[in-house]
Amino acid sequence: MKDQGSKKIIRWVINNIVWIILIVIIVMFSITIPGFVSVGNYINIVYHSVFIGILAIAISYCLISGNLDLSVESMAGFGAIVSAYLCGSSVFASGYAINPYLGLLIVLGIGAFLGMVNAFFVLKLNINSFLVTLSTYIIVRGIAVLLTGGQGVSRLPDSFRLIDTIRLLDIPLMVYLMFVFYFVFQFVLRNTRFGRHIYIIGGNPMAAYNFGVNVKGTILRVFILSGMLAGFTGWLIAARTNGATPTSANGFLFETLAAVIIGGVSMTGGVGSLTGVIGGVILMSALHSAINILAISPFVTEVVRGSLVLIAIVLDSLKRLLR
Amino acid sequence: MDGLERKVVLKVENVSKNFGSVVALNDVSLEVYEDEVVGLVGDNGAGKSTLIKILSGVFPPDKGNLYLEGKKVHFKSPSDAQNKGLETVYQDLALCGNLDAVANLFIGREICRKFLGLEILQKAEMDKQAAQVLSRIGTDFPSVHEQVEYMSGGQRQTVALGRFVAWGQKLILLDEPTAALGVRETGHVLELVAKTRKEKGVSMILISHNLQHVFQIADRIIVMRHGEVVGERVRVSTTPDEIVSLITGAILVNRETNEEGVIDK
Repeated sequence: MKDQGSKKIIRWVINNIVWIILIVIIVMFSITIPGFVSVGNYINIVYHSVFIGILAIAISYCLISGNLDLSVESMAGFGAIVSAYLCGSSVFASGYAINPYLGLLIVLGIGAFLGMVNAFFVLKLNINSFLVTLSTYIIVRGIAVLLTGGQGVSRLPDSFRLIDTIRLLDIPLMVYLMFVFYFVFQFVLRNTRFGRHIYIIGGNPMAAYNFGVNVKGTILRVFILSGMLAGFTGWLIAARTNGATPTSANGFLFETLAAVIIGGVSMTGGVGSLTGVIGGVILMSALHSAINILAISPFVTEVVRGSLVLIAIVLDSLKRLLR
Repeated sequence: MDGLERKVVLKVENVSKNFGSVVALNDVSLEVYEDEVVGLVGDNGAGKSTLIKILSGVFPPDKGNLYLEGKKVHFKSPSDAQNKGLETVYQDLALCGNLDAVANLFIGREICRKFLGLEILQKAEMDKQAAQVLSRIGTDFPSVHEQVEYMSGGQRQTVALGRFVAWGQKLILLDEPTAALGVRETGHVLELVAKTRKEKGVSMILISHNLQHVFQIADRIIVMRHGEVVGERVRVSTTPDEIVSLITGAILVNRETNEEGVIDK
């Protein structure tokens, strides 16, 4: 009985490991790094986690359903360049300078469409989602470059940038938006039939099918959602950077994957929760901030980040050993 | 039977199924009556699993018809079959280890309420029903919110069987329910099958390799071989030896007259 109790405690610790690491690291940095302790810096850490944060929701949904969507990075990049192209007024823009919210709708539509394309190959042709989205990841990035001939687009209207420029308590609007997203998507995951089905499919797709869960419909919705979240992230990137380049969002994929895995989402499907993922996202951003302040070589970041992912994966498999 | 006309729950009529050039089922017909446990036996590759998959809606037959309580039915999907009252217990238990007992019990039939276009899970209601079902099965159950992957084999079995105790209405298909179990758990399962039958009066088809189990709970035994039904015996008037000879083909069947003769070519 005592053994059971201690196992439960160990399980709880591993399930919440990301928050423990995050708190330890923030405290450590705050003590040792001069200039780390300031409200401004803490806000900054969260502010810089918004893009990764929203992409992490997309990847978490996919992973929990037992799939992987690598294409979110280039879909976000594509979303950024398309919204800048449609709404901007610099040389390489479309020249229409359409309403930013119309631009958002178009970008969401493109994201949904690309999600459907991914889902088509995964569901109809039965190809592993890793391979499908690896291909679309490269293809969509290529299309983004083609759209403006490799040029960037800038000079967005002020109305486009409101989501970034409006501040409440010194915190940009998009930070609040990210937390609203986390709240809503966590609720959907845990408290709706759609969310429950995502867990069931990730846990045992055969059982899901045998017991009448609409497996294909659910995975289709997950990929569409993933594309839309990525497109939305692209629109936010354009808003913050006042434009976009074909390489916008470069490198976001592995940063996001790292955050998601450290946040406790299992690569094998069916396990994880956004309450952990948000911790992973902020953790990655805190590391960034520390390395920036210390002006260490950015290559150290890669080593630290990679090691964290490795630790997270080891902990994940440890969890399964603790039955 | 006893001169009484018994209601037919399930009628399988001339069902055939091919996979490419492989004939999995050839012109299979059988009936399952009200309040009856039918044992379906046969060697590997005899077609039992194919038949179960057709009955549970995994795939349709190539030829032939299914009748449920006299009405012709086509199962479009497993959920369609479930909605029409057929519950299947699979040999690999078909549980989601990542979820708790309640969630497993309600896979594919979650209780929801619509709110702002979202189907919100009614967790309290499901907890209540799950607790009732699991207490009816009556084993020591730590918590309905424990993840299934952390449970013992017997507890997992309880969850898997909870599904048919709770949802089986007209017919329950038990596909090798004891294949992966120890002696004690197996005993528990057979007990539960007998109990459920007594309480709910629901008919069952039990597929098993273990003739001892079949003889323990089946009223009637149907033997399949090479995709065909080769014999049908009432349990009380047959012996395991006879069933084994039917399974292995030591007794050949004259299909025209449905009388058996010992092989003498």
